[in-house]
Amino acid sequence: MPPALPIALALAIALAAGGRLLLWQQAGVQDTGSVFALLLGESRRAFADQVFLKADAYFHQGYYPSVFDLALPDGKTHMAKETEGHDHDDHSHTPSEREYRDWLERFGSHFYPAEHRHMEKFGDAREILPWLRLSAELDPHRVDTYTVAAYWLRERLNKVNDAEAFLRDGLRANPGSYEILFELGRLYAENNRDVPRARAVLELAIEKWLRQEAGKPNPDELAYGHILAQLAALEERTGNLPQAINHFTRLKRVSPAPDTVQKRIEELQTKLSRP
Amino acid sequence: MNTVWALANVVVLEMVRRKDFYVLFILTVLLTGTAGSVNLFNDRSIVRYLKEICLLLIWVSGLVIAITCTARQIPAEREHRTIFPLLAKPVTRAQFLLGKFLGCWLATGLALALFYLFFGLVSASREHSWPVANYLQAGWLHWMMLGIVIAFTLLGSIVFAAPSSNGTICFVCSAGMLLLGRHLNKVALSLAEPLQSLLYGLYFVLPHLELFDVRDLIIHNWELIPWGVVALATLYAAAYAAFFLFAAWLIFRRRALN
Amino acid sequence: METTLSIENLRVEYRSRDLGESTKVAVRALNLRVGQGEVFGFLGPNGAGKTSTMNVLLGFVPPTSGTARIFGVDVREPIARQRIGYLPEQTYYYKFLTAEELLRFYAGIFQIPKAETEQRIDAVLKLVELDHARKRQIKTYSKGMQQRAGLAQALINNPDLLILDEPTSGLDPIGRMKVREIIQRLKSEGKTVFFSSHELGEVETVCDRVAILHQGELKTEGRVSDLLREHSANLEQIFLNLIGFTSQP
Ligand SMILES: Nc1ncnc2c1ncn2[C@@H]1O[C@H](COP(=O)(O)OP(=O)(O)O)[C@@H](O)[C@H]1O
Ligand SMILES: [Mg+2]
Repeated sequence: MPPALPIALALAIALAAGGRLLLWQQAGVQDTGSVFALLLGESRRAFADQVFLKADAYFHQGYYPSVFDLALPDGKTHMAKETEGHDHDDHSHTPSEREYRDWLERFGSHFYPAEHRHMEKFGDAREILPWLRLSAELDPHRVDTYTVAAYWLRERLNKVNDAEAFLRDGLRANPGSYEILFELGRLYAENNRDVPRARAVLELAIEKWLRQEAGKPNPDELAYGHILAQLAALEERTGNLPQAINHFTRLKRVSPAPDTVQKRIEELQTKLSRP
Repeated sequence: MNTVWALANVVVLEMVRRKDFYVLFILTVLLTGTAGSVNLFNDRSIVRYLKEICLLLIWVSGLVIAITCTARQIPAEREHRTIFPLLAKPVTRAQFLLGKFLGCWLATGLALALFYLFFGLVSASREHSWPVANYLQAGWLHWMMLGIVIAFTLLGSIVFAAPSSNGTICFVCSAGMLLLGRHLNKVALSLAEPLQSLLYGLYFVLPHLELFDVRDLIIHNWELIPWGVVALATLYAAAYAAFFLFAAWLIFRRRALN
Repeated sequence: METTLSIENLRVEYRSRDLGESTKVAVRALNLRVGQGEVFGFLGPNGAGKTSTMNVLLGFVPPTSGTARIFGVDVREPIARQRIGYLPEQTYYYKFLTAEELLRFYAGIFQIPKAETEQRIDAVLKLVELDHARKRQIKTYSKGMQQRAGLAQALINNPDLLILDEPTSGLDPIGRMKVREIIQRLKSEGKTVFFSSHELGEVETVCDRVAILHQGELKTEGRVSDLLREHSANLEQIFLNLIGFTSQP
């Protein structure tokens, strides 16, 4: 048997199996009929998803519960949520609490990362980047890839220029993406302190959001709120209070906590009335 | 025992003098090198993806070397008829099988040593550390796992006539176990009853090759596995290898050669 | 004379794997006795059952019925093979080894001590005239050289009994003559040689006794000189008569 043959076979098996598991996860177990159709038609996207999950596993030092352990209902990864600043209380899989189904599982837990851990050093975050880059190569239309990578690059690794370049790549592939525009605006506002550019980009993001999402029955109001909050903060910092109030007013309509927003509006109004 | 060693020695010599092992090694070096030369956000200290790719190649190569080397042993002895002058000498069939097993296992171990040395160089080139004990554990467990695979393949080469079909079967079984072994119990629990017990039973009976796959611990610089656990895993591998060898002997010992 | 090899009532059947096909009887009711120091020619046309008989002698195939003994030990015991040298038909030795390494490997199996091994290797390579090629891999050998490497491996343990399956088949006349010379040399050293052949000319000159086998049955057996006298014909004519082939006048 020529050696190339088994290698090709192995890679095919590994990738197919990986992709299949992933699709199983996403399709939900009741929906296995469509799994194979999906696998054949859009395997490239499936691989991109797989690679994206790899990045998430890297964020957890290789710890990653398989599709058999838990089904993430929203299909979003823990790492992506991390970037949105969620708290760490839902980490229920620490070893002391973990229940093993049988002795083999208990014994086996010595041989892979079976404990929930995050990257210890900030610099370690760089290790997830190759997978995000590969994910973008495989599926340039996966927007998460760009926003997550940009977050790590600029927040943890202090590589603002690389983050900007990557976001621009993403924008070229997804010209209408308000998520990418939002990240880019944030980068200009928080890292570059380039107010006019930040404003322009964030306003463009609003425009795109309104065009794409506003008409939908379930619009992505969380993202809209993030953009508005960012924009309002920007205007407030530069002393453009009426515009800030304007943005906060729009934010109030979609915010889960309209009272807090209202309080901010009132603060600004008093500031404005005081000469 | 001398007889077994003599037989094993020939197998090792064969691997050293054949080309396919070098092909796999060079392929691993080239692919790892290519992956390492990609510019990722101008950061030269990113290393884990490289470790991951290198280890994946090592695992695939290890399986390929172990299975192809083992699968051809007995068929080649018969095809070239060397089994006749050999078994016409005071060699028992058990010694013959043991010698073949030991030879393939040692040959694979030599290959692994080379591959892991390369891996160490790759990771040290960017991480500037040598966690030798961790690598030893990983390589050792890998080798033990291939012991099971080799014994299984040897059994297969007695049961199935064609070496290529045996090789493919062994490869698919090993890869399947590596990918799914850890989850068989969970899959079993999701099934209805007669199937549930059946699959759960299989889960306990099948050799869990994936236990020996500690790549993620190495990639992400986790702590050492307790040595007692490594010793237990070694015993686990030895038990399965012995079982497959015994089964092979049961079939082979009364087999007419002609 | 002491008996080195004895076969009693041997029957060898091959059971066909395909359903419906009958079993093939390769050897039936064979009785043979070979004394110590004899050169015994085991003759018969292709398919007569010579190799099948040898397969039993070496423990490769279990006899369907009957027994075979070598030095008084049942051939099913591996120990019976310690003092045997065997040359199979058409064997392609490990081609990635040199002749020297091949012989060292086989010597290891016989547990021959190291110093003695090197002496034996020198001696047998000289005997089969492969001394000049001893450090070359076997894949570079010609067919005749491979056959002689086979003879060398059969002799590595200085065996008392040699079982040679068609040692001259496929060789050119010079090669055949050399093999005959080697057999004669072994005889002069007091070895017992049991060899099969379907070429009769060469047999007359080296054999003490012959047996002629046809379709698994022993047709005749005896000293070459007795046979020649009895049938007042040469071995080839006797052979053709016995297998039922009458030549045109
Ligand atoms: N493995 C086998 N299966 C079935 N028949 C066989 C097998 N080996 C040999 N035979 C048959 O047994 C007979 C004797 O064969 P063999 O002993 O090889 O003859 P010889 O060596 O005298 O040429 C032949 O008819 C042959 O076809
Ligand atoms: Mg024959």
